[in-house]
Amino acid sequence: MLFSYILGIILLVLAAFPLNSLSAESSISASDQACMMCHSQEQDLTFDGGEKLSLKVNIEDLGRSVHRIISCSDCHGFTADQHPKRTFKNRRQYTAYSAKVCTQCHVSHKTKIHEKLLSQSPKGTVCSDCHGSHSIQRARELSKGNHYCLNCHQRELSITFKTGEKQSIHINEAILNISVHKNLSCTDCHFGFSSEEHPLRAFRSKRDYSIAMSESCRRCHFDKYSRTLEGIHYNLLTHGNLNAPVCTDCHGAHSVYSGRKEKLANAKKCERCHPEVYKTYTQSVHGGALILEHNEDVPICSDCHKAHDMTDPRTTDFRNAVPQMCGNCHADKDLMAKYGLSTAVVETYLQDFHGVTLKFYKQQGKSVKPIAVCIDCHGIHDITKVNAPNAPMIKANLVKRCQKCHKDATANFPDSWVSHYKPSLKKAPLVYMVNFGYRIFIPFMIIGLILQIILHVWRYAVNR
Amino acid sequence: MKKFGDEYIRRFGLSRIIEHWLNAAVFAVLVLTGLSQKFHDYSVSQWIVMTLGGIDVTRLIHRYTGILFAGLTIPHILAASFGFLFLKWQPSIIIHKNDFRDAIVNIKYYLGLEEHPARCDRYDYKQKFEYWGVVVGGLLMIATGAILWMPAFTARFLPGEFIPAAKALHTNEALLAFLVIVIWHIYNSVFSPEVFPIDTVMFTGKISKERMMHEHPLEYERLFGVSLEGSKAEKTSEEEMMT
Repeated sequence: MLFSYILGIILLVLAAFPLNSLSAESSISASDQACMMCHSQEQDLTFDGGEKLSLKVNIEDLGRSVHRIISCSDCHGFTADQHPKRTFKNRRQYTAYSAKVCTQCHVSHKTKIHEKLLSQSPKGTVCSDCHGSHSIQRARELSKGNHYCLNCHQRELSITFKTGEKQSIHINEAILNISVHKNLSCTDCHFGFSSEEHPLRAFRSKRDYSIAMSESCRRCHFDKYSRTLEGIHYNLLTHGNLNAPVCTDCHGAHSVYSGRKEKLANAKKCERCHPEVYKTYTQSVHGGALILEHNEDVPICSDCHKAHDMTDPRTTDFRNAVPQMCGNCHADKDLMAKYGLSTAVVETYLQDFHGVTLKFYKQQGKSVKPIAVCIDCHGIHDITKVNAPNAPMIKANLVKRCQKCHKDATANFPDSWVSHYKPSLKKAPLVYMVNFGYRIFIPFMIIGLILQIILHVWRYAVNR
Repeated sequence: MKKFGDEYIRRFGLSRIIEHWLNAAVFAVLVLTGLSQKFHDYSVSQWIVMTLGGIDVTRLIHRYTGILFAGLTIPHILAASFGFLFLKWQPSIIIHKNDFRDAIVNIKYYLGLEEHPARCDRYDYKQKFEYWGVVVGGLLMIATGAILWMPAFTARFLPGEFIPAAKALHTNEALLAFLVIVIWHIYNSVFSPEVFPIDTVMFTGKISKERMMHEHPLEYERLFGVSLEGSKAEKTSEEEMMT
């Protein structure tokens, strides 16, 4: 009874003592214990500039370090007896100085990046910046999983390109976490890099680097990549225009997001390089609705120009595809019903002289001459409502558009176009009456003639 | 039939025969190039247009063939008018009130309400219907075709709406003409039991006395100064023997 009571107390006391501190304490050599006599106290070193450095060493950090088997003096060179006074201008100078000692043991560098960093001036990155000092650890143990690279890259690092441009290579973890790629690891995109490999690469400029890096997107998004190969942007790029956008220019790099999510944000991507067009678009019926009413039914740049395989809009092929582009929405009955718009616009165009000609041109694979399509009357980026004041569809404005092809068109000429209406007694009564007359006359005539033929054959058969 | 080989009467001169076949050729080209534009959704139309070398070539052929058609139709009308007015040509193609009577008599005859078919002159009512269809329809097609060829020019003198109206007229009239020709004209000159397998008049220019007596009795009587009324019964029995 008494024995078990005593045993309980002993266990309680043991539990109150952190085991690891005990073990750390026990592994500390006598000389280290001498150092710790002072350095376990709260005390600061003040540099000339007033900067302070705490001289307190956390015994627990030392215990977790891979260096727990070596003593303080192995790195610091001090013993309890020999503790010379040294002066440093600032904390950074001290850190750089202290880190030099690492290379006494670590004579070979695992990766090229170590070699490069160490060959730079001590003001640059030193060993302890990434690996720690008293709590020194193998880098791969410092953090788990995805953000291994952040060990170094969460620091305010920068690189300098050959052109002299500086680029921060500090990565904000918060930004990574809002990316659609948050579950990917850095090396999925930055291939060739790993905890083992960090090759050195030399890019002429920041732009060269971005262009080269955008190539890694195709490893997963090959369909999009192969479409960009047909696009005008890629074409410009291969012809030496390095400002032509690559994947990351529109989608972002570390904060990648889908282009489909928000139409306005998507359109604004194009604005960066095409500000004039964007401005015109914002004043159009489509852009106005997007910006002022947050209406997501309207088309944005990529709905007509496409996102990856955008072709040169000045080509005839692009022109010829316009009725289909407009038709994507304007032939959609449900969508147009929301706005009280007629879906006959597409069909009436396609059945008209221009539409038929266009259809055959598309079949022929080449256009003999440009044929009027939707945009020729309604405008391109500046499309307005047909009943808006000074709309291009007003007869006086329309005649100018007709004259682009029909050079001798006069003020009367626009009336030859029945403006997407099916002819009726109100709209184009003459056309309506002609059609109506023949709709009765043709069957009357043909049925009459066929009846006569039947009677004639019958009479002939009877007479025989 | 051959035994009556020498008993043929010249009905059309060479110029009329050439005119007919030129008109037929021009009409065929116009129908082919025109209706394939009207029915552009059909794959056969698309095949025609693409085979001809595209829509622009098709339209070019259609328009210049249209000029040929006008070149046949307008001089014909001028020549015929001149002939009737100054050269005392027989106005046998002019529509007469008897034509309407003949049509009614024939329909009654077909239905068995009349004993004998209508007795027609040089041109029967069916032929006049086709002739005037081609002349009036042709003029309409020439006028509307010209409007469609030169829409901007037209709009200087006429309201703009005349252009789509001309298109409606042109396209509907074309369909009507096409149907009348393939149904009525081809029946009367190819498939009708009276002429099958083919009516040779427009090839040889000659008609047998037999057929003339039967189809154009009034002309026959005038030409030969005889009356056929009495010999009618005899003639039908003769016909029966032949067949």
